[in-house]
Amino acid sequence: MKSVKVVVAGGFGTGKTTLVSAVSEIAPLTTEEVLTQASVGVDDLAGVKDKTTTTVAVDFGRITVNEDIVLYMFGTPGQDRFWFMWDELARGAIGAIVLVDTRRLDSSFAAIDYFERRRIPFVVASNMFFGERLYSEDEIRGALRLNPATPLVWCDARERDSSKQALIRLIRHTMSQLPTQAPSGR
Amino acid sequence: MSRDAWYGDDDGGSGRFVPLYVLVNGRTRTRNAGLDLATQVVALGANPQALEAEYQAVVRRCRTWTSVAEIAAHLRYPLTATKLFVDVLLEQGFLAVGSPAEETSTDLEVLEKILVRLQEL
Repeated sequence: MKSVKVVVAGGFGTGKTTLVSAVSEIAPLTTEEVLTQASVGVDDLAGVKDKTTTTVAVDFGRITVNEDIVLYMFGTPGQDRFWFMWDELARGAIGAIVLVDTRRLDSSFAAIDYFERRRIPFVVASNMFFGERLYSEDEIRGALRLNPATPLVWCDARERDSSKQALIRLIRHTMSQLPTQAPSGR
Repeated sequence: MSRDAWYGDDDGGSGRFVPLYVLVNGRTRTRNAGLDLATQVVALGANPQALEAEYQAVVRRCRTWTSVAEIAAHLRYPLTATKLFVDVLLEQGFLAVGSPAEETSTDLEVLEKILVRLQEL
């Protein structure tokens, strides 16, 4: 049984969970990590109420590829400061979709930077709220200082087909980043 | 068999008051290095009745292949704690583990299958 991970990242309110629900075969699930000041996660407590705890929520969905492979899509927590959680989500991921809202491009800078530094393949998906395209591809690329090799796609995260195309673009991009292998036999 | 699960009587009748770090015997990171949120596990059929309630619940959730993240979401356990529960259960032979995401991330054949599946969606 094989698991494959895709990370759906982007700033707060860019439509991560919307995109996950558009393509997931199950209603997105939410799982939580509970943090205390002194520890990360393991120190949660059924019953102890006096500690300062913070809850980080992660939404995710799944697509069963076949009886042997399941693809999971994990949305990053809305707050950028939970980087340890990003590390957990990104570990072993085949790639990421970074959603951007053109009205607030700066909210997705951190995500782009994160995947660039770790050399995790990603595509940038410009979420068209209400179907609007306020800027051209060049303008967005320029504003985000995107590497020319990083794909930029338009999507409407509410639409299954549109979100699916963003995922397909990511898979193709990831495949193109693999070290070239002999086409047959391994 | 190591006794990572705690067998003590702690049920006060009105809810449990066992910190999770007690339930995992102070374990703070998984020993199964590949275990991540997407890793799937499945119950091997051993009767979990002697285990703490939390462990039993995890085993019952795994009648079919289930990921660590799904177990956590359905049982409303924190992620890290769930990972540790799963880790202990793997070690004690209650669960079997599938390939972690790390092993499939560069597998061209797997990526091609995903592509085909996505196009059918």
